[in-house]
Amino acid sequence: MTDPRVERLGSLIVDYSLALKEGQVVRIDTLEVGAPLALACYRAALRVGAHPYTNVGLPGLGEELLHNGTEEQVTYISPIQWEEIEQIDALVTIWSEVNTRSLSRVDPDRHAQHIAANRKLSNRRWERISKGEMGWCGTLFPTNGHAQEAEMSLAEYEDFVFAACHVHEEDAASHWRSVSTTLGARASELGNVRELRIVGPDTDLRLGTDGRSWLAADGRYNMPDGEVFTSPIETETEGEIRYTFPAVYHGREVEDIRLRFEAGRVVHAEASRGNDYLQSLLDMDAGARVLGEVAFGLNYEIDRFTRNILFDEKIGGTMHLALGSGFQQTGGRNTSGLHWDMICDLREDGEVYADGELIWKNGRFLAEPALEVVESAVGG
Amino acid sequence: MADDRLERLAGVLVEYSTGVKEGDLVCIDTDPAAAPLVQAIWRRVLAAGAHPHLRVDLDGSAELLLREGSDAQIDWITPLRRAEVERADVRIAIEAEVNTRGNTSVDPERLARAERAREPLRRIHFRRASAGELRAVITVFPTNGTAQEANMSLGEYEDFVFRAGLLDHADPVADWQELGTGFTELGSWLGQRETIRVVSDGTDLTLGVGGRTWIPCDGKENFPDGEIFTGPVESQVEGVVRFTYPATYSGRRLSGIELEFREGQVVRASADEGEELLLRMLELDEGARHVGEFAFGLNEAITEFTGHTLFDEKIGGTMHLALGASYPESGGTVQSALHWDLVCDLRSGSEVYADGEVVYRDGRFVEGLF
Repeated sequence: MTDPRVERLGSLIVDYSLALKEGQVVRIDTLEVGAPLALACYRAALRVGAHPYTNVGLPGLGEELLHNGTEEQVTYISPIQWEEIEQIDALVTIWSEVNTRSLSRVDPDRHAQHIAANRKLSNRRWERISKGEMGWCGTLFPTNGHAQEAEMSLAEYEDFVFAACHVHEEDAASHWRSVSTTLGARASELGNVRELRIVGPDTDLRLGTDGRSWLAADGRYNMPDGEVFTSPIETETEGEIRYTFPAVYHGREVEDIRLRFEAGRVVHAEASRGNDYLQSLLDMDAGARVLGEVAFGLNYEIDRFTRNILFDEKIGGTMHLALGSGFQQTGGRNTSGLHWDMICDLREDGEVYADGELIWKNGRFLAEPALEVVESAVGG
Repeated sequence: MADDRLERLAGVLVEYSTGVKEGDLVCIDTDPAAAPLVQAIWRRVLAAGAHPHLRVDLDGSAELLLREGSDAQIDWITPLRRAEVERADVRIAIEAEVNTRGNTSVDPERLARAERAREPLRRIHFRRASAGELRAVITVFPTNGTAQEANMSLGEYEDFVFRAGLLDHADPVADWQELGTGFTELGSWLGQRETIRVVSDGTDLTLGVGGRTWIPCDGKENFPDGEIFTGPVESQVEGVVRFTYPATYSGRRLSGIELEFREGQVVRASADEGEELLLRMLELDEGARHVGEFAFGLNEAITEFTGHTLFDEKIGGTMHLALGASYPESGGTVQSALHWDLVCDLRSGSEVYADGEVVYRDGRFVEGLF
């Protein structure tokens, strides 16, 4: 019968992440393989008096459109989609693939075209989400496809996913509320830092963060979650960094990336595999050589690389820095078609200094954040 | 399933039934189990230069709503559904139930409530369809659920479904067109008659059809198809009818239904099985006691009862009538949230009279009628 962890995850998303209320309209996007979680969300939404409906993708159709559709068909957005996006109060996206590589053979240009066409729709969606008019939570339901990508059995992968969401324990929401408090406090403290210095193997990088605000990713937009992030000052990144995990962009992997920054821009880049792809992405546009994000991964239930950014960027003890577009909410100004998260493992041998003071060593902050500071800050 | 007949079915639905053309917004409304047919349809819609739009609900979500939802939740219609029925140029609905009895234990009151809630959508659908703004077809994709309902293996049921659509013929479209021509001639002839009287074991029913239009059904709106129907005059249905086949309503089975009509309204109703549900449905609204449709089933490739209305109502040699809403194009004016088809076998010991003259005997129209 139903895995109780799936029921808990459904409730957690509806009650905690979206804080769904009576009368609100929520669409649940999934493939059929994600049905158990979609139905758990559906049931939880009924319980709070909301109006849920499911939207199921069928296998093979996206590929067919990309392979054989005309440009007009590939870039078409129907009036139904436009009307719908204005009317929903919340959206749950359940990523659940039977085959994570099904788009590997599609012409990258056509794929880009389709994404660009859908960007009009997704921009409008993000506009409503950032104005607080609409809630969104992206999550994953474990399948053999995802387990295979992570080099695990399905049962192992289920344990991994559900522990990362903390639904292996009864009261997941209270865990996330406490995470939210801690991360909020951490973000608030980091907001006072003018310069961060990251030191590790082949890495010594300085980033300016003066005046930028840090945000806590506490399980509202993603489940699992667990990071604090900001957009560094666009002109102040200096030094070198080496990424220990492969960096994945649109399903293609680039290994062992080394970057050198001067005055905020990448001036030298190399990779042991996928170097051409790396160079072409750096040349995508003017903003692609500038960092749009720096973040600490703080979910310590996520302890390994699984080739899925939803989890990888939150691995407890890592940092990630994204080339490309920044976040306006944090004060970021960089714009680019690129936003490419690259993850740096700092668990074995890594140090972070804030304005010259060591604050992080071997994957952990040295001190707990002061909670009362934040409560007054939030209250104010 | 790499079944060539699926390709043929997709071809008939896209090119014949709905005539998909460049620029059309084509809403494909279905269940997850129909994926193989959807893929075939999707390819053809793209090839026609149209825009396919997929609408799939998860199996089990409707059931959760009926069981656990509040009245307000059951009454609510998704904005997506409304946008679709208002905007689509073409709608291809494919039923693919994995379990036909999932709603058997749901409170009939709640089923009726859900039915009423969807009524506004149905009204928009019918209005746009009869104005020629929407081309819509409904079909069934064979699943183990529907096969089990029919007491068949999946393989046997697939054969049954594809035969019923004439998809085993060399040129199914040509054969549907030829059938359509015959149905149209029959319709013109019936359109001149004032009354139809059906006499069979347990049945003696007279319906006024003067001035009403008979609509030939040749695979454009239902697939498979094969019937001719009209909307009888609302105040002119008299007598009794005993339906030989069981009826289903949202996963619940009723059998031995008997109805008595006076001046167009049901005045007595009984059933051997499911009588409570029958009585409840008759109370659904004002129109539920009226006959919205009277029809002859004319598909000779469908010979047996399989427990699915789309097929049963077309069995060659049967008649059916529907309680509830009529189709405006037939001239019928009954409005109701209900449209419930009940089928009666006329293949033995039966006669139908048109204006007093025998026109149909033991499941067939007499030779040389027109």
